[in-house]
Amino acid sequence: MTTMTTPEDAAPKAAQGAFLSVRDLYVRFSTEDGIVKAVDGLSFDLQRGQTLGIVGESGSGKSVTNLAVLGLHNPATTEIAGEIVLDGQELTGASNRTLERLRGNRMAMIFQDSLTALSPYYTVGRQIAEPYVKHRGASKREGRERAIEMLEKVGIPQPRLRVDDYPHQFSGGMRQRAMIAMALVCNPDLLIADEPTTALDVTVQAQILDLLSDLQQEFGSAIILITHDLGVVSKVADDLLVMYAGRAVERGSTRQLLTEPQHPYTWGLLGSMPRLMSDVNEQLTPIPGAPPSLLAPPPGCAFHPRCGYTDLVGGGRCAVQRPDLPLGRGSACHLTDQQKRSVFIETIQPRLG
Amino acid sequence: MRRTRTALLATVAAGALVLTACSSGGGGGNSTTENKDAKVKQSKSAQQLAGQITFGDDAASKGPAEPVPGATPGGTMNVLERDSYTHLDPGQIYVSNEGQLATLIHRGLTTYKLDNAGKYTVVGDLATNSGEQSDGGKTWTYHLKDGIKFQDGTPITSKDIRWSVERLFAPFITNGPAYLQQWLANTAGTDYRKLLPDGPYKGAHLPDTLLSTPDAKTIVFHFPKPQTDTPYLFAMPGYSVVDSAKDTKQAYDKAPVASGPYMIKNFDQGKSMTLVKNPNWDPNTDSARHQYVDTFAITFNHQAEDSTKRLMSDSGENQTSVSFDNAVDTDNTPKVVGDPAIYKRTVAGYQPFVGQIDFNMKRLTDFDVRKALALAIPTKAVYQALGAEYGAEYAGGFLSPSLAGYQKADPLGKAANPNGDAAAAKKILTDAGKLNTKITYAYVNTTAGQQYSVTIATALKAAGFDVQRKELPSDTYYDLIGKVDNQYDIYASAWGADWPSASTVIPPVFDGRTIADQAPNYAHVNDAHINSEIDRIEALTDPAAAQKAWFDLNTYIVTKVIPGVPTVYYKQLQLFGSKVGGAVYNNMFSAIDATKLFVKQ
Amino acid sequence: MLRFLVRRTLGAVVILLFISAFTFFLFFAIPHDPALLSCGKNCTPDNLKTIHHNLGLDHPVPVQYYLFMVRIFTGHHFAAGNCPAPCFGYSFANSEPVWPTLIDRLPTTLSLALGSMVVFLLFGLGTGMLAAWRRGSAVDKVLSSASLVLSSMQIYFVGPLVLALLVYNNHILDQPKYVPLTQNPVHWFSGLIIPWCVLSILFTANYTRMARSTMIEQLQEEHVRTARAKGMSGAYVFFRYAWRGSLIPIVTILGIDLGSLLGGAMITEWTFQLTGLGRLAIDSVTKTDLPMLMGVMLFSSAMIVLFNILVDAVYAFIDPRIRLS
Repeated sequence: MTTMTTPEDAAPKAAQGAFLSVRDLYVRFSTEDGIVKAVDGLSFDLQRGQTLGIVGESGSGKSVTNLAVLGLHNPATTEIAGEIVLDGQELTGASNRTLERLRGNRMAMIFQDSLTALSPYYTVGRQIAEPYVKHRGASKREGRERAIEMLEKVGIPQPRLRVDDYPHQFSGGMRQRAMIAMALVCNPDLLIADEPTTALDVTVQAQILDLLSDLQQEFGSAIILITHDLGVVSKVADDLLVMYAGRAVERGSTRQLLTEPQHPYTWGLLGSMPRLMSDVNEQLTPIPGAPPSLLAPPPGCAFHPRCGYTDLVGGGRCAVQRPDLPLGRGSACHLTDQQKRSVFIETIQPRLG
Repeated sequence: MRRTRTALLATVAAGALVLTACSSGGGGGNSTTENKDAKVKQSKSAQQLAGQITFGDDAASKGPAEPVPGATPGGTMNVLERDSYTHLDPGQIYVSNEGQLATLIHRGLTTYKLDNAGKYTVVGDLATNSGEQSDGGKTWTYHLKDGIKFQDGTPITSKDIRWSVERLFAPFITNGPAYLQQWLANTAGTDYRKLLPDGPYKGAHLPDTLLSTPDAKTIVFHFPKPQTDTPYLFAMPGYSVVDSAKDTKQAYDKAPVASGPYMIKNFDQGKSMTLVKNPNWDPNTDSARHQYVDTFAITFNHQAEDSTKRLMSDSGENQTSVSFDNAVDTDNTPKVVGDPAIYKRTVAGYQPFVGQIDFNMKRLTDFDVRKALALAIPTKAVYQALGAEYGAEYAGGFLSPSLAGYQKADPLGKAANPNGDAAAAKKILTDAGKLNTKITYAYVNTTAGQQYSVTIATALKAAGFDVQRKELPSDTYYDLIGKVDNQYDIYASAWGADWPSASTVIPPVFDGRTIADQAPNYAHVNDAHINSEIDRIEALTDPAAAQKAWFDLNTYIVTKVIPGVPTVYYKQLQLFGSKVGGAVYNNMFSAIDATKLFVKQ
Repeated sequence: MLRFLVRRTLGAVVILLFISAFTFFLFFAIPHDPALLSCGKNCTPDNLKTIHHNLGLDHPVPVQYYLFMVRIFTGHHFAAGNCPAPCFGYSFANSEPVWPTLIDRLPTTLSLALGSMVVFLLFGLGTGMLAAWRRGSAVDKVLSSASLVLSSMQIYFVGPLVLALLVYNNHILDQPKYVPLTQNPVHWFSGLIIPWCVLSILFTANYTRMARSTMIEQLQEEHVRTARAKGMSGAYVFFRYAWRGSLIPIVTILGIDLGSLLGGAMITEWTFQLTGLGRLAIDSVTKTDLPMLMGVMLFSSAMIVLFNILVDAVYAFIDPRIRLS
């Protein structure tokens, strides 16, 4: 409830006071087949000490958005428009040098697959120490000490011994912790975690999420948690942003989204999520159809080809007119608030149990 | 009497490097002055070849050799050679490049002397003269000169000569010439080994009835039959002297003891050889050789194209470079002869080979068909493939201009009409009712072979033959045409004399009694008249009469038997650097004369 | 590591045994009698028989093979001289002992191979990395097409061309030749500079393309992105992270190339009249010189096998996953 003060399409100025403010962000890749509109006019804000969860299927633009924040896209093939303001500093169009100074220092990222995201050729300790040495001007020895300290902080036993291990000598959970250590080594103000727990088993998942929360308490960082798993965000995120085909379709506090979701796509996500308490024989209901091609997204509401409620809107509006995402709490859908509420209560909620 | 397969191939292929030891001659070649233009060179060599090579007496054999005009001693001569020397043991030397080297490091009883006037004489080398015959040519006596020594200073005695002869019978000597052994044993093939199966190595010796050495300076050969070519025989590098005290058998092939003006300082097989002056060679004992150059720095692996390019460029060390054996390659010949500055740095002369297209007498039994073939074949095709006038000369017969007693003759008119006479050939075929006779033409798959075979096949078709071309791989070409029952009708071959006498050409190539697989009678000629003439002429003791008889027999073969058609006499052009002096073509070595070279200061 | 080496060495021995047997028996499948080489002009059947005996060709082929292989280790006393182990016998063509000949030719081939390796690594990797760094730019396009053009050049074409331009017509550079490094380093260098460059042309182009493509591939690796996300500079990421990953394919190809180069660069040695192992190989084939051929074949095969083992060992240095597993 600390976010979302302005409508998307108005391309407003960055919100005052927000630590990270993204406005009307467009990310387009040129490929041999044409232009891929990976992010198509996205805005959001994030305050210090808060956690924003971004959910959506693969290819919905979650990761692309965050790589854009860090400035990691290849400028030769990527066109980025819009505003990204970090603590008052404009990032789109900032020089490489500026971005380099921010990356790993004030903003850091935890990647999904720690096996491929860590270099196999260098020790865990060295990889953790590198940004510390670079940004803080520390010596190698200091860097190593810091790496040991960080490994201990993220709960690696015997960090003094493990600091010289290579990533492949770590278990999956430990590697993920090491990655978190690496991201946090300079006490970043913004931490972007891209599916940090996907590759891990459930117990480890929980530990990692707890760890993130603990660290946030300690450092006061803002966290963006990218996931396709609503179960994960529900535990740690303050606010949620649901993305579909490069656009935000619903936003609100975590509680709001889980208890009274408004967008048919969000309903689909909830329906396809297994619940701990549910009957094992109960069938999950996947969202019918496949995510749209970002080369040629459907006109109107991008979700309409998969949506079961376009009849309620009528007049073929869904296929023609793109719905806006209203201010604050809200969803980009042509259904009336009344319709949203009654459909959810009558048909969705019973299924969710 | 046979040349190696590679030798034959080289000549058929391109006429490039010749693998023959001693050969050719019968007179001139070029004078010691460098010629100015090709026509002069050619006419000169032709004129002088009409002369007669003589057997020298004591005076002609007495050292020192006539000085080369303008020669200065000293310096290093770079020698660019294609092939490394496989054999250095005189008993194993037969091929031309090793023969060339042998003239610098080895000496035998006789050798060829080329004087400044361009005259060739067979002179005594270690011996005081070219040989004294008695008993109707069966007994040959040689006396050794005073002051002849091996490189270590040991005097050369009759014991060394005997040893050098006797070791030729040992089983490890397989590469060198076998004439002397066959003459002594009076047998054909390699049966001579039975005379002295282990050579001299187990204490056995040839009996005095064959070879006697009455004192340290006298050697007497007693041949069972008259051998009037004996002075030529002992000029072959393969009969040079071996140090009896230092004979290491097989190992001698790598480290021989020198007796000539140069000795081997260093030999890196396949890479390089350095020759330095032999201090124990006394110029007063040698009427043919000089010792001007301090060092010969020989390097190998230079193809003709490479040596030609280097010598043409005349840059840096190439100015003092020469190739003993490489000819100017066919591709660069026009550039070499077209540029007067380069052309003046060449010498030219004959190679011993005569090219022919054999007609397989086992299959082509009809004389008219053979005559029509002979008339129709355009010898110009072969001539062009060998580099035209700088690599070949049209042949009228099977005997080369470099043989003693050569008479220019063109009984079939082939030299006069190198394009062939298709009309005349067709008429013969029509009259004989042999039109469309099937001819299987086997040719070697080298560039040159492919070139001329097309022209020849086309001409034969025009003359009314039904020609099938059959390509044979170059490395087995002679194996295939050398089979008595081969299935080809016509195929090219080339033959070179071992010394400048027709006796090393007609008997091996045309004697019907020698027909066998791989024997050089590739046409399988077996003509009673030829066979009886060979026996008759070989028994003649008057060299002049024998020479005339050979050339008469040649005309008979060319016109009355037609076992093939002669195509060309092989020639070559050699190039040397601008600071190389004394460059003369020596027809006896079929190459530039290494013993006369000096470095211009 | 020790176990690894032992296992690989045993494997190599088996491979070499197989190659030796293959070469040996294939040689006898060629319908050409090596004895003809030593038969001279007097090549009668009797003479051939003598030579067959002299060369040991009168034994059945398997027996000859057995004797050849055993003598490599035991040595043998031949008529041409004593041959201590490793003994590959004496050349049929010129009675030179095979092993000392190989050792004699090795420095030329070694100089040629290593020198040209320096040239092609310097230029090939340099331009390849530059092209990858400036991917898609004009520099990249020029370098990529230049490498394509160069890779289609042939040594037997470029060699004589370079000789004509720089040696024969203008005398800018020395006539190529081999002078031992120990004898005169300056002449060693000036004599080999043309062969190095010409031999390198083809390799340079290959390494340019390989370095470019593996670098581009590596730059897209996730761990490289991670490094950038840590704020490491472009050059640091390029040379530390991407480069390290590119080493494996490069070392693999380099091992194969160097192994075969050390067996002799035939065309280059032929073009520039250098007498290395390649030249020896050509000569031994054309002269049907079995012992020399076996020697060269086994030597160059051993080089290739050895370099394969070396490459595997180098992998371990480059990649801790291989080293520590």
